[in-house]
Amino acid sequence: MEQFINITLDLLVGFGETLKIFLVTLAFSLPLGLIIAFGSMSKFKPLSALTRAFVWVIRGTPLMLQLITVYYGPGLIFGRVLLTSVSAVYITFSINYACYFSEIYRGGIESIAKGQYEAGQVLGMTRRETFFKVVLLQVIKRIIPPMSNEIITLVKDTSLARVVTYYELIYFAQRYIKNAGLLWPLFYTAVYYLVFTALLTFLFGKLEKKLSYFN
Amino acid sequence: MNILEVKDLRKRFGDNEVLKGIDLSLKKGEVLSIIGSSGGGKTTLLRCLNFLEIANNGEIVVADKTVFSATEGEKPTIAPEAQLSFGLVFQQFNLFPQYSVIENLMLAPKLRAKRMGTGEKIEDIEERAKQLLATVGLTEKANEYPCRLSGGQQQRVAIARALMLSPDILCFDEPTSSLDPELTGEVLRVIRSLKDSERTMIIVTHEMEFARHVSDRVIFISDGVIEEEGTPEELFGNPKSEKLIAFLSAGQE
Repeated sequence: MEQFINITLDLLVGFGETLKIFLVTLAFSLPLGLIIAFGSMSKFKPLSALTRAFVWVIRGTPLMLQLITVYYGPGLIFGRVLLTSVSAVYITFSINYACYFSEIYRGGIESIAKGQYEAGQVLGMTRRETFFKVVLLQVIKRIIPPMSNEIITLVKDTSLARVVTYYELIYFAQRYIKNAGLLWPLFYTAVYYLVFTALLTFLFGKLEKKLSYFN
Repeated sequence: MNILEVKDLRKRFGDNEVLKGIDLSLKKGEVLSIIGSSGGGKTTLLRCLNFLEIANNGEIVVADKTVFSATEGEKPTIAPEAQLSFGLVFQQFNLFPQYSVIENLMLAPKLRAKRMGTGEKIEDIEERAKQLLATVGLTEKANEYPCRLSGGQQQRVAIARALMLSPDILCFDEPTSSLDPELTGEVLRVIRSLKDSERTMIIVTHEMEFARHVSDRVIFISDGVIEEEGTPEELFGNPKSEKLIAFLSAGQE
């Protein structure tokens, strides 16, 4: 029993590391995604082409490969390590998720009827006012389901960070196999992921309900 | 005095010339109906007046001030106050769904007061919104959201919203075309009541009966030109051009 409690607490520390990746990634990728979305919708063709090509590369290659490239790449090219594993993980995850979010934002923004912008214009509102005061909340309402999907995927993708020696939940559990011959902590980690995703699902459900007063 | 003068307005989409030189003038308090078959250019004319489309050529003068002028091949000049000289009521209402009825009315004036630093008080804007809601008969719906209103009620809110900014000329783009027949009456009654309060209005419409009764003048647009123009009695009672005769008789079948 004492062993179970100790391992539970130890894994909780590992989950804390997982949570750090999750929160830092969201903090950077949510706004960065909006910038990328504007880039890919730009009327300036070279910018939109460049942005779309970037999104294609990031979405078209495995996150694990991107992590390895960012962490080990500088060492192979310049002969010295530039990034700690922590910053490599934060940078790679943020860029990767920003690209996925940008496509969700773009879909949401483009789904808003032209009439909303036109109504704003004929009422003398600026384009900026129309976007932030009229369009944005409608976009947020529409993208909640795909965003909640993507954010729940992020919770589990954090486990990839261990390929560049970032010590997160799965890594903590695997040590028990090597050091104590205990296999069960590895499977036990599922409970942490499940509880956390249940919490997220609950929060997104709440948000969806809060915005259900209009359509 | 003419509140509106439009001179030689032309609009092209690619090679397709939709407006081929429109001239018209409007006196203060006058109600002008624009009729004509779909694709003839009447909605494009209205959209050009509201700067949702930018005309390639022509001049728009409101109360003796040139608010828009363009010459083929050159960059048009648009006066800063041009947009608010006109108000527009859309066929599809285009209310802001996340705002209540009264917030829909107040949003643009509130933002404008803040942007221009006019010092206009929120209470004054709210007072004006309440008066306009009373005008369109929706006082009790002030705190409802658009999705809970019928099409006719939504369109009446849209009319009140357009009036919040006191446009010199209020335009209607087929205001009853997306309404069920039993709901058109309430919208047409509101428009008629505005006529009694000396509003200058331009109405693009398919409701010939309504155009006949509410307008001071009617123009018939076909293929991007004003084919015929006159009082409702003249146009409906004694149409001259073959196109108008064909258009009116097709509507009766």
